[in-house]
Amino acid sequence: MAEQELAFTQEELDEIERIKAKFPTDKAATLRVLWVAQNKYGHVKPEVQNLVADTLEVPRSHVHGVASFYTQYYKEEMGKFVLDVCTCLSCQLCGGYEILHHLEDELGIKAGETTDDGLFSIQEVECLGACGYAPMLQVTNGVYANNLTKEKVDKLIENLRNGNLPEFESMVMRQNEKRKKAVS
Amino acid sequence: MPEVFIDNERYEFEGDQMALQFILDLGMEVPFFCYHPSMSIPANCRQCMVKAGQYIKDQETGEYELDDDGNRKIRWFPKMQTSCALKLSDGMVIQTQETSEEAERAQKDTLEFLLINHPLDCPICDQAGECPLQIQTYKYGPEGSRFEVKKVHKPKRVQLGPRVTLDAERCINCTRCVRFADEISGSKQLTIVSRGDKNYPMTAPSETFDDPYSLNTVDICPVGALTSTDFRFKARVWEMNQTPSIDITNGKGCNIDLWTRDNEVLRITPRHNSEVNDYWMPDEGRKAFEQFNNNRVSRPSVKLDGDNHSNTSWNNAIETFAEALEAHAPQELLLIGSPHASVEENYAFNKFFNLLGASTAKFIPHLISGYGDDFLITDDQAPNTNGCRLISLEETDSAGIKTAVAEAEVVIILADDLVGREALSADDLSAKYTVSLATNKTLTTRASDLVIPITCVAEHAASYVNVDGRIQRSFPAKETKYTNRRLNLEMSEGRLDRYGTNFDNWVKEEHKIDCLPAWEFLNHLADRLGLEFQYDHSRTIFAELSDQIESLRGVTYERMDDEQGVQLPIEQNEVTQA
Ligand code: SF4
Ligand code: FES
Ligand code: FES
Repeated sequence: MAEQELAFTQEELDEIERIKAKFPTDKAATLRVLWVAQNKYGHVKPEVQNLVADTLEVPRSHVHGVASFYTQYYKEEMGKFVLDVCTCLSCQLCGGYEILHHLEDELGIKAGETTDDGLFSIQEVECLGACGYAPMLQVTNGVYANNLTKEKVDKLIENLRNGNLPEFESMVMRQNEKRKKAVS
Repeated sequence: MPEVFIDNERYEFEGDQMALQFILDLGMEVPFFCYHPSMSIPANCRQCMVKAGQYIKDQETGEYELDDDGNRKIRWFPKMQTSCALKLSDGMVIQTQETSEEAERAQKDTLEFLLINHPLDCPICDQAGECPLQIQTYKYGPEGSRFEVKKVHKPKRVQLGPRVTLDAERCINCTRCVRFADEISGSKQLTIVSRGDKNYPMTAPSETFDDPYSLNTVDICPVGALTSTDFRFKARVWEMNQTPSIDITNGKGCNIDLWTRDNEVLRITPRHNSEVNDYWMPDEGRKAFEQFNNNRVSRPSVKLDGDNHSNTSWNNAIETFAEALEAHAPQELLLIGSPHASVEENYAFNKFFNLLGASTAKFIPHLISGYGDDFLITDDQAPNTNGCRLISLEETDSAGIKTAVAEAEVVIILADDLVGREALSADDLSAKYTVSLATNKTLTTRASDLVIPITCVAEHAASYVNVDGRIQRSFPAKETKYTNRRLNLEMSEGRLDRYGTNFDNWVKEEHKIDCLPAWEFLNHLADRLGLEFQYDHSRTIFAELSDQIESLRGVTYERMDDEQGVQLPIEQNEVTQA
């Protein structure tokens, strides 16, 4: 994509102005404006990062540094469903890598890759703050799939192939399950 | 006055002071990496840990509280403190690694962490020998590592920009380079990417680190992560010889060090001078090593026919020059001094021909307007424009010099590539007898009938007056055919110079230019012509000058050395433009 083709619409620019107004400096609005861009283009490739930097009038290097930190920002074009498998400490201890490798085998791609049909991408990510329900994965920066087993993963893929996203689950820690039952 | 207690000694302090800088100023040491006195303090390397606390004062009486033994009670801060970011306060107690085992342990552990993913490739690393990480690991680090698993790998040999090469594995992510680009040069081209265990500095993908000051990051990188593309693998630092000097590529006169080995200048680095360049210099100035080593005029030469020159002996050159002078009346001589040459050279040059009866030398400032910035790059392309003004050479411009050349028969040019910088054309000179006293081969020497090789700033001691009117001087760093490092007490000796002999296959006697200081050549010419003119050293010339010129009263080489240059009482406005 040539750089000159990229531009925000007036509407988006208005939204960016509203975002900027919420922060003491324009630099602080980087994260939010990267979201605006990612929602628009589906990714924040380098040229999109530059668009964000130039719109906010902050150094391009700064936006690049921020975008490269977060796995949530896609630095390349991704599949329709991005499966972020957590392999950070708690998930790792509870079998995060087994889940990841199972997924890789099932889809025939490695972490960081996208299937040929453009349906799935797999990313290996750090803690998503759901350690209590490890191992887990997140679908395209959205719903979490928790307490994963290989069977659950197979089911998830099948559902996604049919266009069904998993439902949001309200989770409790295992040790609190009894109390939850008692309360309900 | 407020007081602090560092390693059980009492010190008084004033104003806002950070513990680390205060300790360093006292001549003591705490290891550190990310701190730099000219930049903001992120306290991210965690190396400068000290144990700190506060003597407890009774709120009401203002007296210190004492324990049962009569010692003042200390309330230690709950954690180790990074001394770089620890602001001193009245009654603060600090224990460094010298007195606190905890501080010593904290520093050692930090180093163990920093080294976990470090490649430990010192044997092939350019930074070895001047590497804070290496030095501090020896002094304060653990003896081994407990880390037995695979290290994280990162990009190597990344061409960060045209002049800087990055080895990301060596980086300790101190952010000095990033802060330099943000705060000092202002290009803001760097950031830390992939923050986490794979982090390293990088530009945005569409950019390259072409900051005109980029090489300063190589100096301040506390490890071997950033290296100079030019200098990579050229020499180990301990083989080189370090000589203080002045940047002659522009008018600022940045203080520098010339690093030589086997009489070649291998690299140029800035030398701290808070009055001129702080810790920095422009990349362009570092390129000057090429002009000191290469394309030099070595041995006098005379023009045969067309553009062909032939080398000749010094005796013959002196004879030829003398005959040309004898064949012409003094009014037929045109002398062109040079803002590219030192005060001493210009003065000796002018004086010599004045003695013959010629009129005062002219000079043309070498300015490119709009070239400079507000930092260390100047419009002035020459190091000594103000020096020429100081000794009252006649300032003129290209048109003026063309007229003067047209009226003269013999044109004598001191170290200035007038043809190259288009102040004159080769045609202007073709009908004249032209003599160049020059350091490098240029279009001007090509157009000259007689070329006399003279020493460059890397080979002589001489002074230069910068755009702000500060006079600073150089030291000889490279030997010429006629000087000897061991006999010339002014020259520094590196390890190889001191312990090597001609019989070692790692010592080369090459790279010595067959040239003389301009004044020394003029001594010989004076002998031949029977003139009263004899200067044994640039120091003698300068002494004579400082007697004669009001604004140089009391200025000596010693003062320039002790005070890192002397600010002359020159009007600021007379300085910038002709
Ligand atoms: S490259 Fe050097 S200066 Fe830059 S962050 Fe790494 S260690 Fe620090
Ligand atoms: S470790 Fe996986 S969610 Fe925290
Ligand atoms: S020097 Fe203090 S934390 Fe780096």
